Amino acid sequence: MSDAAPRRSKEQVVEALHDVAAEMHNKMQRGDPPRMTLPVRSKSNISFDNRLGVFKYGKKKTVRDATSLGSARQLLRTLHITEFIEEMIDNGKSSTLREMYYISEAWGHGKFGTQNESNNLAEDLEIVTKCLREDFKLRPEEDGARIIGNITVEERNRRGDWMRINCRDDVGDSGYGVPYNVESEKLRLVDEDIDFVMAIETGGMFDRLIENGFDEEARCALVHLKGQPARSTRRIMRRISDEWKKPIVVFADCDPWSFRIFASIAYGAIKTAHISEYLATKEATYLGITADDILAYDLPSDDLTKQDTGALEAELSDPRFSSGYWQDQIKLMQEMGKKAEQQSLAKYGLDFVTDTYLPEKLDAIGLGYR
Amino acid sequence: MIRMGEAEEISSKQKQISVSEFFEKNKHFLGFDTLQRAVITAVKESVDNSLDACEEARILPDIRVELQRTKSDELQMTAQDNGPGIPRDAIENVFGKFLLGSRFHAIRQTRGQQGIGITGVVMYSQLTTGSKTRVVSKIKSDSSAVYVDLGIDTKKNKAIKSGEKRDVWVDDKTGEEVSHGLRIRTLMKAKYQRGKKSVYQYLRMTSIVNPHASITLVVRDKEGEIVEEGQWLRTTDKLPRVVEEIKPHPHGIHLGTLQRMMREAQDRRMTSFLNNNFSGVTRRAAKQILEVAEIEETRTPKRIKAEEAQAVVSAFQTVKLLKPPMDCLSPIEDLLIKKGLSKAIDSRFASTVTRSPSVSQGNPFQIEVGLVFGGDIAADGPIEILRFANRVPLMYQQGGCLLTKALESVDWKRYGLDQPGGTGIPKGPAAVLIHLASTNVQFTSEAKEAVSFDETVFDEIRKAMLEVGRGLKNHLKKSSQRKKAKEKFELVNIILPEISRKSSELLDREEPDLAPVITQIMNAVFLEEELSWNKEDKLSMCSITVHNYTARARAYTILAKWPEGPDTAMSHNPTGGRKETKGLWAWRLDTLDPGTSTVLEFGISGLSKGEWNETDIFFRGNGEIIGATKMDENLLEEQRKTEALEAAMEEVRKKENDAMIETLAIRAEQPPAPSDHVEQAEVLLEEAPPSTGEWRFGMEGDDQ
Repeated sequence: MSDAAPRRSKEQVVEALHDVAAEMHNKMQRGDPPRMTLPVRSKSNISFDNRLGVFKYGKKKTVRDATSLGSARQLLRTLHITEFIEEMIDNGKSSTLREMYYISEAWGHGKFGTQNESNNLAEDLEIVTKCLREDFKLRPEEDGARIIGNITVEERNRRGDWMRINCRDDVGDSGYGVPYNVESEKLRLVDEDIDFVMAIETGGMFDRLIENGFDEEARCALVHLKGQPARSTRRIMRRISDEWKKPIVVFADCDPWSFRIFASIAYGAIKTAHISEYLATKEATYLGITADDILAYDLPSDDLTKQDTGALEAELSDPRFSSGYWQDQIKLMQEMGKKAEQQSLAKYGLDFVTDTYLPEKLDAIGLGYR
Repeated sequence: MIRMGEAEEISSKQKQISVSEFFEKNKHFLGFDTLQRAVITAVKESVDNSLDACEEARILPDIRVELQRTKSDELQMTAQDNGPGIPRDAIENVFGKFLLGSRFHAIRQTRGQQGIGITGVVMYSQLTTGSKTRVVSKIKSDSSAVYVDLGIDTKKNKAIKSGEKRDVWVDDKTGEEVSHGLRIRTLMKAKYQRGKKSVYQYLRMTSIVNPHASITLVVRDKEGEIVEEGQWLRTTDKLPRVVEEIKPHPHGIHLGTLQRMMREAQDRRMTSFLNNNFSGVTRRAAKQILEVAEIEETRTPKRIKAEEAQAVVSAFQTVKLLKPPMDCLSPIEDLLIKKGLSKAIDSRFASTVTRSPSVSQGNPFQIEVGLVFGGDIAADGPIEILRFANRVPLMYQQGGCLLTKALESVDWKRYGLDQPGGTGIPKGPAAVLIHLASTNVQFTSEAKEAVSFDETVFDEIRKAMLEVGRGLKNHLKKSSQRKKAKEKFELVNIILPEISRKSSELLDREEPDLAPVITQIMNAVFLEEELSWNKEDKLSMCSITVHNYTARARAYTILAKWPEGPDTAMSHNPTGGRKETKGLWAWRLDTLDPGTSTVLEFGISGLSKGEWNETDIFFRGNGEIIGATKMDENLLEEQRKTEALEAAMEEVRKKENDAMIETLAIRAEQPPAPSDHVEQAEVLLEEAPPSTGEWRFGMEGDDQ
């Protein structure tokens, strides 16, 4: 299960990209508008894959053809990206997604409007060609998460040497920074002395747990997700789960967006459903803060905003949240009309989270350490 | 305490008190209730006077207003015009006519119906600062100007002159001698304020409805630094037309007015009185009125009792009367509203309507509405409403005004403006001008800032709103169609060829033939029109391009609307074609093969730059054209009929005119009647054909 995604040879990547251009060219030769076929990338087209245990894209396809100006521009951009990737492959270069966005300035009518557009198109190409963006020599701008805890990894550094790092003893307060590539050619999981991994949504709570010495007391590794976790963050958690068989628990705010963070870790993200089997950790558990917790611990809460209510409504029909547990949580939150932050636990003092809340919650899922 | 002999003195004192007191007590409706409003009122009174004077003397007005702060709550106002000036002997009268102005026999549309006029300004200055108002007046026939300081004698209730001299008047700005004009300089307790209720806004609004005037404003602080300025140049040399005075119409007469008119009447008999002093009353109608009121025709008006007068008032409502003549109104007219609005507001689109005159309670009135949209207008707030009564801006009490209420009653969502809740003032990048021209504007209060409710006027405004609303809707629909067409052109002309080139390069293949691809993508006929201004030949050009992006050959007749009128002509038209109906020209196009396009061009003379900004294009033929509307043949037929009718009526009118001239000629040759000359003339008048004006309105009545 810990197998990395299969990597393609340069020739295979170029060939796959040319297939995309060929679809357009063939159409035009037949007198039809050029087009590109790709899976629908929305919640309406993800379904649970029984064999893999995660959510993958379904069979719904969408055709992007040059009958509207917007789609035609997308096709032109796709061709520009293809050309750009081929150049990088030929020259042994790589670029960040942000660099590609700026490079597109020179593409005339194929230039991107926003970086989001370029990111999405790169993902489209991954999906259509069944290649990974690493194959395209594209890397993300943002780094992965921070980790603190008694685990030891080996990372191949810039000089090509393997460096041994203990994520508790060899790092400062900011922890071990997860690189964007966490496949075995770059990172090895060497040793551990932990009982579980706790993924934390906000930096404030991550720092609170470290200050309170929670990682040592509860024998866990703490991972700061930095909001919606990057691919590498999800991938490293998946590897820890696979290779060390350690439980992953997620500690987040109690709002619709936190639920989505958890879903992307445990079930697979909609945007990256084509590689869910490499990124998602189906064994992950949502620890809190749950809607029940707001009531049970009488936490200070805020009213749901218009966007929040919209997001909750959308989640009700999201196949990833179809289980009874999530339906209950979502409906309870809708009923209350409230949400709460992780740090609202400070209502009862700075130590409440480590002395009371987390021990109680962990105990409830069989990870009690006292 | 008071001795008998002092009675006269007391009475005089009381009178003195009463004039100042009157002013003090009524400040709110005289417009001097706050320091901020006082300066607006002062500017308004002098500018209104200048505009009226220039209009009467047929001079294009140049008006300059300067405000200089002298103390924290004191301002000096200087207002100068290039009007006819006031003859020396009339100055006292003009500036001292306090609470005068019984205009009741003369009914016509005038600006100066508000407040107490310029006298109020002189009075206010004297009361608040104790200073005199300095007037410089120059009339063309005099060799020098009169300089005089004016105050108000509150005892005698008239102006007092002092420091009078004659001198040459040299303009401060140009350094040239002024040949005619008037300048007023006065000091008053007042504060200058910016924003929606400011002198600036007042003059801006004034300039919109007086496009024939050039107005300048300079506001300076105590140090003489300019803190605000504005300049609105005239956009037309056409002065508003001279309005005719008309007599009151019986439908708007109240008992008191009638009694007063009868008291003052010179007529010896009631029939003549009714016939001579009212509009719309023929001799036959006068007789009918008296018959209904059971009053003998020979009675003398002065001797009519109150209950008899009441019977006459009632009879006014039952006897069939002609409508009052309408030449007492002076509308601004569509084109000038458009110009006025566009000079004050930068917008993309303007739609204007001048409704035909109408009558409410015997008062002729006319509604004009202009709507501007887009451009620099802020899109987030409620639209700006510019209200005017007889070309005078209404700046206060917007919510309580009939003009606002009529605007609010329209379902603006249907016309493309946001209207939260479905009623009220719509939101969006628009401004609406509403002008009520009337011989008798009814206000909600003495402050004269809000027009009171009147169903007929309300309905007229609503109709005008719907008309400009339709214009806006049309414009928005066209804009979105145009945008779509533009996108398609970019797609097939730029993006598609690049896709083809790039993919061929990548794959190292031949470039495909794109013609069939383009046909598939477009699969329609597109039409684009562009209006432009040809500076050299002073032509308003219209260029129409038709592209056939379908797989079949197409044949069409293209029809374009153009502003046909007595002053315009289709001067440049290489494609020929023919006139379809008034304002609509048609060209039959050669067959357009698939993938080809053709250009049609024509030019209109007689317009100035910017006067023609939008047109409608129609077509005849099979299949749709994106960017043009299929000709509605029924509508066209109707229009042709209307036109034919109009032409026929014009012919009849001419004949009637000739006939009347003939009658008059015959009458002139007749010897004078031996007895009662007046009676004889009246009989003759009744037998003569009615005047064209009355006849025309009679026709309109029949049509309805």
